[in-house]
Amino acid sequence: MKAYLRVRCNKEYLATIREFVKDRLVDLKVTGKVSSQIVLAVDEACANCMIHQHQCDNHSTIEVAIYRDKGTLYTEITDTGKAFPIDEYEPKQLDDIVRDRTKGGLGINLIRKIMDEIQIEEKRDCFVYRLGKRIDPNYPL
Amino acid sequence: MEIREQIHENFITLSPVGELDANSSIHLDEKISSMIQNGKINIHVDCRDVSYMSSAGLGVFISHLDELSAKSGKLVLSDLNPGVFDVFDLLGLNQLVTIADKGDDIGKYF
Repeated sequence: MKAYLRVRCNKEYLATIREFVKDRLVDLKVTGKVSSQIVLAVDEACANCMIHQHQCDNHSTIEVAIYRDKGTLYTEITDTGKAFPIDEYEPKQLDDIVRDRTKGGLGINLIRKIMDEIQIEEKRDCFVYRLGKRIDPNYPL
Repeated sequence: MEIREQIHENFITLSPVGELDANSSIHLDEKISSMIQNGKINIHVDCRDVSYMSSAGLGVFISHLDELSAKSGKLVLSDLNPGVFDVFDLLGLNQLVTIADKGDDIGKYF
């Protein structure tokens, strides 16, 4: 069964999202380091949507859903903004980030390090970012 | 976000309290920027009361490394909880940022 949370595109709600994901992961028997990393990846993806796709427009919303399908934990972020090609984005090199003195560019790197599957599905009026993390090695991806 | 400040002989300790995410990290960034502008270039960040850090928090530290190095200053972090250390470790940032060993005399890093 999927659990859903819809929030406004306001960075103050990132803490609410993290709490929601953490609690649902407990329900799905996912805890410890894996749980912390999934929470981080979802936080990064949601912050990316809020800041870059919606410019933190308080009138816009995103929806976060979590479910488990056999050995894989999925989180879905449904966004009515423009799609960000998170699955094709070329991660920035650390040396470049240090040299350019930029604050951004690390979030996508983290998502790609943590999650095993990254998909973007285009629907009629929204995009769904689907992030999968294998949590049971007995179930192949 | 609360950020405590302690002045030592040759460095300053900042102790942020709470979560360093895309919403809150700007406060620490402004604090560090202000210190560098005022010539305080040896900065220790005590992370014992930081319960969570996202890439926005990492970005605060990374974005000041080059400037501090150019001014012969230094940034040292300490007392990261395991979850926060894991975020650095995931990206290999623990090789770029100086992280003091637990119980170390911080003064020796400056």
